[in-house]
Amino acid sequence: MRSNRQQSIRRNGFSNGLGWLLSLLAVLLVFGVTPVFADMGMGGAEQRIAPIGRVHIEGQDFVPVADSVASGAEEPEQIAAPRTSRKDYPNIGVSSRAVVWILAQLHLFFGALVLAVPLFVLVIELVGVMTGDERYDSMAHEFMKISLTGFSITAIFGGSLALALFLLYPDFMGYMMHVFGAQWLVYAGLFFLESFFLYTYYYGWNAMRYGNLKWVHLSLGLLLNGAGMTIMVISNSWATFMMAPSGVNEVGVVVGNIWEVMKGPLWNPINLHRFIANIGFGGAVVGAYAAYKFLSTKDMEKRAHYDWMGYTSNFIAILAFLPLPFAGYWLMAEIYAYSQQMGITAMGGILAWLFIVQAVLIGTILLAGNYYLWAGMSRTEGSKRYKPFIGFIAFVLVVCFLTWVTPHTLILSASEIAQLGGSHHHILGPLGIMPAKNIAVNLMLIVTFLSFQLYRRSDKVATVSWAPIGNALMVAIYVVAIVNIIFLGVYFGYFSNTVYKVGSSVAQVSSTLVVIIAGIVIDSLMFKNAKTLPSHWGRIPDRAQYALFALPIAFTWLMGLMGYVRSSVKTHWHVYTVMKDNSPDNFIPTIGYAGNMITIVTVLFLLFVLFMFWVASLSGTKQAKPETVTEGGVA
Amino acid sequence: MSEENKIGGAALLVIWIAALAISLVAFYGLDHLIMNMQGLPLNADLTPAG
Repeated sequence: MRSNRQQSIRRNGFSNGLGWLLSLLAVLLVFGVTPVFADMGMGGAEQRIAPIGRVHIEGQDFVPVADSVASGAEEPEQIAAPRTSRKDYPNIGVSSRAVVWILAQLHLFFGALVLAVPLFVLVIELVGVMTGDERYDSMAHEFMKISLTGFSITAIFGGSLALALFLLYPDFMGYMMHVFGAQWLVYAGLFFLESFFLYTYYYGWNAMRYGNLKWVHLSLGLLLNGAGMTIMVISNSWATFMMAPSGVNEVGVVVGNIWEVMKGPLWNPINLHRFIANIGFGGAVVGAYAAYKFLSTKDMEKRAHYDWMGYTSNFIAILAFLPLPFAGYWLMAEIYAYSQQMGITAMGGILAWLFIVQAVLIGTILLAGNYYLWAGMSRTEGSKRYKPFIGFIAFVLVVCFLTWVTPHTLILSASEIAQLGGSHHHILGPLGIMPAKNIAVNLMLIVTFLSFQLYRRSDKVATVSWAPIGNALMVAIYVVAIVNIIFLGVYFGYFSNTVYKVGSSVAQVSSTLVVIIAGIVIDSLMFKNAKTLPSHWGRIPDRAQYALFALPIAFTWLMGLMGYVRSSVKTHWHVYTVMKDNSPDNFIPTIGYAGNMITIVTVLFLLFVLFMFWVASLSGTKQAKPETVTEGGVA
Repeated sequence: MSEENKIGGAALLVIWIAALAISLVAFYGLDHLIMNMQGLPLNADLTPAG
């Protein structure tokens, strides 16, 4: 009876809670979505599209149109992008661009972190529910604890950035407000939603740990991620509108609805690229937390826990990182398709050097990630079988890394050019162009996946009868894929026309994806019900933890660097070809200056991350009650 | 690993050759498919047909 009553209470509580939650959601959605529909002009998109003949012609003064049409219906104002002069930009004594650069980059770093962590936390929590292993649940909760301070820091930098932009670039911000209209209110509303889901998700963790309530909790996590992702794609639309404006005419008059303004040609490539990169970045940052905790404790149980946490973080970071170059490739292809000039500015001019720095940083990430996996193999006895492969993987990684960092055109003095017979080295020159880089990137990703696969296999012995066939097929796929990638790169890259050269890079990427997908499928089937060898969490050299510190540093620097490239390709435009930047900083800064700025922002971010870790540790610390000394002794 | 010991040397050789052949055919087909999808047909010897 009592049990039934308890179940009834639990069910009623669940029903009431869910009903209340759904009602609240419905209200919030109605209020949140209404402005979107209103702004999209549902059922009347033509109302926002300027009639032909009323479009402003470049070179002539613009006169805002505010009259009504013959029918008497109100015509929306046609406001072109402002034409600013130097005096329209307030001078605060320091570079406005530098101020906005620092604030925007810090906001984006923390934004990326707090959007990513709940994503993989939700997956880890779900794995915990599916497997019934509570360790997953505890780890997911701890990941959320680390990132909780990050939400406040993100909001602080976001608010500061908005104030700085309105103060320093008032005309530009006025124009952006006009173009995106009520979408800004939707954006603000989403923060309320995200905060609601964040706090109920985090603080409700232990209150909704089992049974049906756990599913409510998972749903809250899903809604938190839904709100977070919507915030991300909305803010991405501002960045991509500035790079490749859509929904406006050649002078910036809005001629489309909000959806047409948002879905520019670069929007989805940026959405995908940032989505994947954020996960990798988030995994790397929480991995550093696990490494810090691992190194700072002697308790074997805690070391085992943080070793497992560090491994999971590295797994998330590298797994997300593997498809990232392909998303980046898509983004660059779309940039070239939108404006070849913009593409050449990014990859053919002064900014091309940054792609060499990018190669160094990506090489660092892959070497650190691989090294951590190799060091982690010492956790199991079964890993001895795969030790000989490590030398091969390291060799391929280093050769590909060196190929990737080889520049096409060298910076040389006149005498050096004369000595060399030109600015291209006759042997190293061919390694500086894309076909060689494509081979290097794909092979690095393939051998990194091989490291993962060997690590995952190291504590298992397959028991299925077809294991020899599976192994043979896996090895053959690796060998043929590597040969195919090299063949496509060399033959089409150096001995074919440009169209086939570019097209063959897609076939190279496909080969890499086939290896990864085949590896996951074959191993999943082959190691089902496999014999498991003992694995000792915590048995990993301390030096492996430094690889986990290297990952977030390289990731952060890389994000700052490529953010500078992405923003700089607009050259002297606030909104490319639509609104000119006439501020004192309307030029692409030098690489040296940019390098200093990126380094400053990276160091600042890492300091804030240390603060975040400290706050997370603080919540688990309890001060001992002080002993009071009395006349009679200790009370 | 232990399963491999139960299979004879000749059978193992056949398995490895078959795996290699299947992979070669698969990647050959993949190259044709991906290049064709982009409007860049290939000849049977993988040279550009366009």
